[in-house]
Amino acid sequence: MIETQTLKKKSNLKGENPFAMSLVNGWLIIFAVISVVPMIWLVLAPTKTDPQLSSSNPLAVGSLSGYWHAWHHLNFFDDGVVAQWAWNSVWYTAMIVVIATITASLAGFVLSASRIRFKRVFLISTLIFMLVPPMALVVPVFVLMDKLNLTDNPWSVILVSSLYPFGAFLSYIYYSTTIPKELYESARLDGCNDFRLFTKIALPLSTPLLSLLAFFAFIGNWGNYFLPYILLPSPEHYTLPIGLGFLFVSTPALNPGVGATSVPVYKPEIALAGVLVAVPIMLVFMFSQKRLVRGMLAGSIKE
Amino acid sequence: MSKVKKAKQRNTAMWVMLSPYLILLIGLGILPVIMAVLEIPQKARNNREGGWGVVIKVIQDFRLIPAVEHILGFVLIFVPLTIVFVIAMALMLDLNNSKWKKYARVAYIVPASVSGGVAVLVWYIIFEPHFSPFKPFLRLFGIKRSDQIWQTSHLVWIFAIMAFFTIAGNWILIQYGSLQSISGEVIEAARIDGCSAFQIAMRIKLPLIKKYIIYMAVLVFAGGLQLFVEPQLLDTGVFNGISHVWSLDQLSYDFAFTNGEFGSASALSILLLIPSLLGALVVIFKTDMFEDEETAARKERKMAKKALEAMKAGN
Repeated sequence: MIETQTLKKKSNLKGENPFAMSLVNGWLIIFAVISVVPMIWLVLAPTKTDPQLSSSNPLAVGSLSGYWHAWHHLNFFDDGVVAQWAWNSVWYTAMIVVIATITASLAGFVLSASRIRFKRVFLISTLIFMLVPPMALVVPVFVLMDKLNLTDNPWSVILVSSLYPFGAFLSYIYYSTTIPKELYESARLDGCNDFRLFTKIALPLSTPLLSLLAFFAFIGNWGNYFLPYILLPSPEHYTLPIGLGFLFVSTPALNPGVGATSVPVYKPEIALAGVLVAVPIMLVFMFSQKRLVRGMLAGSIKE
Repeated sequence: MSKVKKAKQRNTAMWVMLSPYLILLIGLGILPVIMAVLEIPQKARNNREGGWGVVIKVIQDFRLIPAVEHILGFVLIFVPLTIVFVIAMALMLDLNNSKWKKYARVAYIVPASVSGGVAVLVWYIIFEPHFSPFKPFLRLFGIKRSDQIWQTSHLVWIFAIMAFFTIAGNWILIQYGSLQSISGEVIEAARIDGCSAFQIAMRIKLPLIKKYIIYMAVLVFAGGLQLFVEPQLLDTGVFNGISHVWSLDQLSYDFAFTNGEFGSASALSILLLIPSLLGALVVIFKTDMFEDEETAARKERKMAKKALEAMKAGN
């Protein structure tokens, strides 16, 4: 795990070449601005009307009531199916986060605390599945679900997404580095069984781990597209990201080919749907930067 | 109770706790891959007799070569661009000691939430001079109409830019984190030996974070091969100049869903899985990313010493 460095590495570029240092700083700031401007546009877009979006300054603030109007308009679309998508996104992701976090933390504990057979095999297959992008398995998973007649069932997406090898590996590292093996041994001598080793020793020390696991499970699944797109064909089962794509096809907002419809979904409404997808992830990222870095480098940086 | 019996009981409890994960890993990770392999030779509309010949048919499909070209073009832009840019940014951040640095880090992570459909929406707006918040920028390049950007031959660049912004911020922070693992003493020693900031970056910091760069390269490359969402969404009428099967994942999807050719779809997805799998094995067995602690620490010290010696010899 990374800790903040005690020994401060002071920059010597400032002393060496102040001009180069100000170039570096200038670029760091420019890239920060480039990074946030599109998001600012997106968040401001629903405050404006469709004509205002093209006539006014792209970063001008409209009226806050625009959000309410845009939501109202969005709900004209297919009898308020957008609210259903939002709810689906929330409950699928919540179930995935819970199941993935529980199964991965238990697995990591067993892999670190036990001496069961095939431990190395499980660890290596976990590493392999962690490094192969989940998208690569979507078509094979579809073939299986089709055979089991589980397509168009939200649980197919929830269970497939709950396979969390990265989480299992993170908790394996976490337990291996935070809990000394001797602690388990002495607890066993005191008559503790293995379930209680987990509930009485490992679990009370797991708060940072569980928040790390929940964080990665959330960011990996809230915006997921390919898997639910393939496994859940009925619009009432869509999640927000799939629904957003559906809005692209069926409204004139980005697709002039659709022509005028009676449903008032234009750019501000589409942008609101975009805000609903992007802002939760953005907030979680902003508040969990340290978790991101710690998790991605876990097991490789040792203090 | 005898010791053996106790140990056995202990293992039962351990297996019970491991089983939920194991069931998911085997049932929804390993089994689908095996099933997909077994699906390839099954009889299908385009494979009436059944048999492995269908793999050849997939390879000879007239849509495969263009999709391979698109993806290779995309990966060749996206992967080096991302790696070079991310490393440069992480090194620059590492040089900076200002207080505002933490706000810059927060800013860099914002575009990570702009992916998939949101990315298509946002970039559609950015590339539309009418709406774009980067209007002056576009003018600078002489772009006055969006059709100057939306051209079939530009798609590899457009997707590379979208994908780059989605992941660059995360990796900048991660590689900045990996730079923090370098001991201050090593940097201090190099400085006393008269190294400039640039020399320290190129000859000490970079070699010391090599394994993290490989790790990033493998993940970025493997992810790049699996381009699906953005081209699929552009094909919804947003941009008419894109093929229905622009990327390899889209072709695999098309085999399965438009034509019901599960064998061909499985064959292509397994072919696509191979490079990712090789990359994963490289990271696991050829780098020390996931090595146990003592070996890793020992190697790190050795590398630092080597780098320093090389520096001294160079001076």
